[in-house]
Amino acid sequence: MSPQPQAAVGAPLSRVDGRLKVTGKAQYAAEFDADGAVHAVIVDASIGRGRIISLDARDAEQHPGVLRVISHRNAPKLPYRDNSGSNNMPGRRLRVFQDDKVLFHGQPVAVVIATTLEAAQHGASLVKVRYDAKKPSTDLHEAEPDKPTDYARGDAKAGLRNAPVRLDLTYRLGRNHHNPMEPHATIARWDGNKVTVWDKTQWVVGTRDEIAAVFDLPADAVRVINPFVGGGFGSGLRCWPHTIVAALAAREVKRPVKLVLSRKQMYFGTGFRPSYEYRLRLGSDRRGRLSAATHRIDSETSSYETFTEGVMAPGQMLYSMPNVSQAYRTVPLDVNTPIWMRGPGFASASFVIESAMDELAHKLGVDPIELRRRNEPSEDEAKNLPWSTRRLRECYTVGAREFGWDRRNPKPRSTRDGDWLIGLGMAAGVYDPGRYPAQAQARLHADGTAVVDAATTDMGPGTYTSQTQVAADALGLTMRAVTFRLGDSLYPQTGPHGGSSTMASVGSAVLDACNQVRRQAIKLAVEDRESPLYGVPADDVVVRGGRLHVQGNPARGETYKSLLARHDRSHLEARGNYAGPPTPERDSYAAYNATFAEVAVDATLGLVRVRRMLGVYDAGRIISPKLAESQAFGGIVGGIGTALLEHTVTDHRDGRIVNANLADYLVPVNADVPEVRAIYLDGEDNSGNALGVKGIGEVVQVGVAAAIGNAVFNATGRRIRQLPITAEALL
Amino acid sequence: MHPFSFTKAANTREALDAGRHGGRYIAGGTTLVDLMRETVERPETLVDISDLPMRDVTVTERGGVRIGALVTMSEAAAHPKVRSLYPVISQALELSASAQLRNMATIGGNIMQRTRCTYFRDVTAACNKREPGSGCAALAGFNRTHAILGTSEDCVATHPSDAAVAFAALEARVHLVGPEGERQVPFADFLLRPGSTPNREQALRRGELITAVEVPALPRPLKSGYLKVRDRQSYEFALTSAAVALHVRGGVIREAKVAAGGVGTVPWKLPAVERHLLGERPSESLWTAAAAKAAEGARPLQHNRFKVELLKRTVERQLRVVGGSK
Repeated sequence: MSPQPQAAVGAPLSRVDGRLKVTGKAQYAAEFDADGAVHAVIVDASIGRGRIISLDARDAEQHPGVLRVISHRNAPKLPYRDNSGSNNMPGRRLRVFQDDKVLFHGQPVAVVIATTLEAAQHGASLVKVRYDAKKPSTDLHEAEPDKPTDYARGDAKAGLRNAPVRLDLTYRLGRNHHNPMEPHATIARWDGNKVTVWDKTQWVVGTRDEIAAVFDLPADAVRVINPFVGGGFGSGLRCWPHTIVAALAAREVKRPVKLVLSRKQMYFGTGFRPSYEYRLRLGSDRRGRLSAATHRIDSETSSYETFTEGVMAPGQMLYSMPNVSQAYRTVPLDVNTPIWMRGPGFASASFVIESAMDELAHKLGVDPIELRRRNEPSEDEAKNLPWSTRRLRECYTVGAREFGWDRRNPKPRSTRDGDWLIGLGMAAGVYDPGRYPAQAQARLHADGTAVVDAATTDMGPGTYTSQTQVAADALGLTMRAVTFRLGDSLYPQTGPHGGSSTMASVGSAVLDACNQVRRQAIKLAVEDRESPLYGVPADDVVVRGGRLHVQGNPARGETYKSLLARHDRSHLEARGNYAGPPTPERDSYAAYNATFAEVAVDATLGLVRVRRMLGVYDAGRIISPKLAESQAFGGIVGGIGTALLEHTVTDHRDGRIVNANLADYLVPVNADVPEVRAIYLDGEDNSGNALGVKGIGEVVQVGVAAAIGNAVFNATGRRIRQLPITAEALL
Repeated sequence: MHPFSFTKAANTREALDAGRHGGRYIAGGTTLVDLMRETVERPETLVDISDLPMRDVTVTERGGVRIGALVTMSEAAAHPKVRSLYPVISQALELSASAQLRNMATIGGNIMQRTRCTYFRDVTAACNKREPGSGCAALAGFNRTHAILGTSEDCVATHPSDAAVAFAALEARVHLVGPEGERQVPFADFLLRPGSTPNREQALRRGELITAVEVPALPRPLKSGYLKVRDRQSYEFALTSAAVALHVRGGVIREAKVAAGGVGTVPWKLPAVERHLLGERPSESLWTAAAAKAAEGARPLQHNRFKVELLKRTVERQLRVVGGSK
């Protein structure tokens, strides 16, 4: 941090943009007023794999209001320049309307552009497409995997062979979709060879670069704007085909085009958390000291791109053991490409590992927390590095105390409340947050207000608020005096708003920019004979409420306003920079949690209802406690969904997603979310960012599903190694 | 959505006139508009009947209740007579949909609502109900939520209404008015099993309009209630459900009305369960023995096998909840 007093950082403030949101004044991607915008609706492939034989757009074109129908038959060739950035996955990305191939059910095969949304929608239903359909391969458990990515230390095979206690468990995890409230949407407007795009994205810079690559434009010919995001959870981390479709359509009809995905289209038009089959073998001694583990991890990817995520990491560093081997295999299927979803990889791995730890604890008759303590590593055994901070033990202690863990009867099926069996479970969670290079620009105006800009995003965690808090303290201004702006690719560049990276990365750049501006002002004052601060050592000056003064002597000082006026300066400004974490890494940096769940399971009907949840987090410094609590609630709710409800179902006969809507894809509703509590351990982690933060958005969901599954076991004695856990498994 | 014309009927005569010429009636629109957006429904003409005088809940001379077709779900559920005489109806309604939907949707529309089968709602899938002769994608597809009772080779879709399960249990009558005048149809005859014509869902004649649902008087005291079993605590259709009404006098069950939802192609009356209860004294073992008959004739599919057992347990639970656990 800085020598500045902290007034805003650490205070439980409400969202600075809250009023805009609740009054409907916050503008989301589809709500911008692009003059004369017309509407585009995508026609989705109705087969799972094959070729388009014919595409008859005559009826659609003749429908009143329809301006154009674009498909592979008439679309211009698009350059699709290589772009390994923008979160494009290795492979050959989907190229819209460039050939007759259908790679997955729902792939865009045409777009209808019309003067009204209704005409475009109806026009889309009039496009007749005939296919040569092949049977798609969409079942993870039936298809051939790619070559594995391996990890090994020690000799896991021998370790397992020699272990007195062994477990061999296979888990199946369902596919999840992000389902943000706001649908993905794009408005594109061309002005000559330049294009402006309003797009629901978590990374305006990445989307800009991808549009530039697809249309072979210089980056500065593309501007992407996105000040508000109605939920993302990862679905906005790359530029999806529909964004390109909107830009292409706008160029072809020479008018601004608005394209909003339907809820159904979000299930194949954007990515998803892939399903997994995960076989874990664990070996330990009779006291529960782990000696070996082998992990065989299979997950979905598309036929055209290879999607991977951090699913290997928890198995390498969560527990101490000499022998580990892992094989992570992607399985190419006739589906669209997955994308990271809250707690990516870690949440999936943690369900497996933490469920298995619970099984081991039960088998050995050891308390699950005690088992974890016995295997707590003193350093990162995969990286051979010390921890920056790792306070899992404290998470266990605080969590056990606050949740009433001592009231848990370790014997399953021993606690009843009428028809309900009651169970308690816990799990550990870990997430390795991203830290990406970032820049920010701070400008202090002569009137004593400041504006800070960075091309980051606020998908809901409260970036506007938390960055304003950092800026306000570093500048010595009130929250009100500072405006933080984001969501425009013209602003100083940042990495994606994902992977819990934003506070550490963008926050550090904001801090740097604001520190520089404050120091400029202090320098101006202490070198100015007319300033009351003349001659004071710069380090002895602090700024509070827009007034510079000597530390410990508030009487001696002056305001920014008078200082800048006297010097006839309209503003002071600086570009802040965050270079990313040090390379090579000096320590192992991650956020941790212990998550606790109490569930009730109807003994005869098999229904699982969560009663209480508690998360205890080791997440470094908390900049914005009120928003951090909201993040934890959101992560826990997401985890309840993964554990009990969420499951994208594919009909393997033709690759169709059969529950592509919010009535059949179940997310938790209020009634499913009981008492939820979040505790952040007080502290900071100064490894590689000046704010001392670790990032919280992901770790809050990691471990939740396992805690619930373990509570279900404690309640019923039934171990369900499949997500979601539904009634039929418990009857 | 396909283009359509829209008219508003000022009175029943106007509505029937429009209906006779092929107009589709619309009230709350919570199902119809949804399905129009998906192009599953493609009416050429919509006739808004929301101004017609069918908004009353009245107690009949014999002590039953007559609920007007345009009474909203929330009004019906909250009506003091419905609440006190037939808690099973109020509960079924309040466990349906969401508050917003219940404020819009009407009783007439509720029993007319169409299946939630996802293949029916996806116009690119085969569905005999939507497009006769095209086949049934659900039969060998993902059919976890589908029916185990009353199915045919052509359709295995469930009827989604909760209220209709209560009406079926209580042997309600549907009041209709059509070009040829008024008539009443027993609830059991109103909703049709799919057979080889799953596109025919109700025993309605061309242009006929539901005016009310009448629940007959039943001997008092009558205990009743509705249990809905679902993955999510709220805002989901039933995996299984049970509507139960019992009249016990002198320690003996004199009247038993039982139906199940979420399991049948229509709300599934359970006469075998009812017969088993009549003349018996309430007991845990009676509930178990009676409920054992709930799934008689069930024909489960690949993904809904669990519903056979779940149905029995649902009925057993609700018999105990309503009848007591002595």
